[in-house]
Amino acid sequence: MATSDKLIQVKDLKKYYNGDAIKALDGVSVDINKGDVMVIIGPSGSGKSTFLRSLNLLETPTSGSIIFEGTDITQKKGPDGKKLNIDLHREKMGMVFQHFNLFPHKTILQNMTLAPVKVKGMSQEEADKKAMELLGRVGLADRANAYPIQLSGGQKQRVAIVRALAMEPDVMLFDEPTSALDPEMVGEVLDVMKKLAQEGMTMVVVTHEMGFAREVGSRILFMADGKLLEEGTPDAVFNHPQNPRLQDFLSKVL
Amino acid sequence: MNFATIGQNIVKLTAKYWDKFLLTGMGYTLSLAAITVAVGAILGALIAFMRMSKIAPLRWIAGIYTEIIRGTPMLLQLYLFYFALPQLVPLLKKQQYACVAIALVCNSAAYVSEIIRSGIQAVDIGQTEAARSLGMSHKLTMTQIILPQAIKNILPALGNEFIMIVKDTSLASTFFIGDLMTQVLVVKGATYLTIEPLIMVAIIYFVLTFVLTKLLGVFERRLRRGDIR
Ligand SMILES: Nc1ncnc2c1ncn2[C@@H]1O[C@H](COP(=O)(O)OP(=O)(O)OP(=O)(O)O)[C@@H](O)[C@H]1O
Ligand SMILES: [Mg+2]
Repeated sequence: MATSDKLIQVKDLKKYYNGDAIKALDGVSVDINKGDVMVIIGPSGSGKSTFLRSLNLLETPTSGSIIFEGTDITQKKGPDGKKLNIDLHREKMGMVFQHFNLFPHKTILQNMTLAPVKVKGMSQEEADKKAMELLGRVGLADRANAYPIQLSGGQKQRVAIVRALAMEPDVMLFDEPTSALDPEMVGEVLDVMKKLAQEGMTMVVVTHEMGFAREVGSRILFMADGKLLEEGTPDAVFNHPQNPRLQDFLSKVL
Repeated sequence: MNFATIGQNIVKLTAKYWDKFLLTGMGYTLSLAAITVAVGAILGALIAFMRMSKIAPLRWIAGIYTEIIRGTPMLLQLYLFYFALPQLVPLLKKQQYACVAIALVCNSAAYVSEIIRSGIQAVDIGQTEAARSLGMSHKLTMTQIILPQAIKNILPALGNEFIMIVKDTSLASTFFIGDLMTQVLVVKGATYLTIEPLIMVAIIYFVLTFVLTKLLGVFERRLRRGDIR
């Protein structure tokens, strides 16, 4: 694959806590290409969240590099020699959290237009129009002036997804987006994510929804003990797992 | 002690000295408390932001200040300011009220800074993460996301602090600055009655704090309703 297709290159990424007592990430290297729907699976505590949160530097890696669209964002200085402004890179990486993290003091519309207006300098009218269009796509146009507390969990997560999309990111990061939802609301959120994948969005998804991983994922990564132990197509990983840890994990979750 | 006499004396004292208690005394007490909370809040905010600063020495200074103020008795601080300030700042010679007010402000600032700090830190870390992941700067995150939510934690606690200070100002009467407790001494000096003025001022303090507490409760309910909307 050509270099230009590589959106994020992760090289030997390490994240230690308490000196080196806890190795949350212990040397992870992987390339994320444009259009990938990369699904990360693995047991609890294996470092999935740490990996995802390192990609936009919500966690500062102990060592290793993350090259996003040609820039190593783990460096203090950018390629131009000036201080690297992580905000400029973060706005191109949308992130969706397990607990939605909508802003409770702002309406749904305000949640979605704040960053486009204040960060990207979009006009309020333009941002409103774009937000309404996105809300329409997830069937929530009529809730634009509601406050987050007035929505169900599934609705909140759909808003969180389109809030991130309003910044027109190049990649979307999802950390267990359905884990805090009542079972009957999981489907509506996964449907939105599936549509997004079909439209060609590059996605990195940490999830325990093996059905989603199998159906929508283009690459599956299996992590354990802060290491990337196996990677492959859904068919390879789910039907012909090689690593004994993966075989053991699958026997428990499938 | 004869309750009937005390009752009669209180009626007499009320007729003769009501203005001393209700105008002079309450005026000084409330103005002192208001100044203390208003200036203390500004200073307290400054100290709170120092404590959360990225610059380590600022954090240390603010931390040490807060710990010292909270670790020493208020009456001692009042004495120290009362006697040391005029010597350090000639402008404050014979300015008892100002010295006492400054002491109260410095004391309150330490407590208010903790109120503000915990109010900010009580906002879910996920709010910061969501804002930053959208590309919002630290400053934008603070002003648009964190502070509007923190203020709902801070204001009620600040109201409580005001009520505390209304009572704490009574310590300032040690220096005869005119507050409610000072009036007890004034009336006692003029009439040789002690119990009666004490009871009268106790009633005033109680009514004051009771009314303030109720008002605060109404305000808090308003704030909370605003949160849900
Ligand atoms: N702030 C921290 N301080 C110390 N240890 C941490 C911290 N954050 C994470 N860890 C540790 O790092 C390891 C990886 O955590 P991480 O949250 O990335 O796992 P995960 O794969 O996302 O698990 P889960 O499926 O439960 O969400 C765990 O052992 C965790 O206890
Ligand atoms: Mg996790």
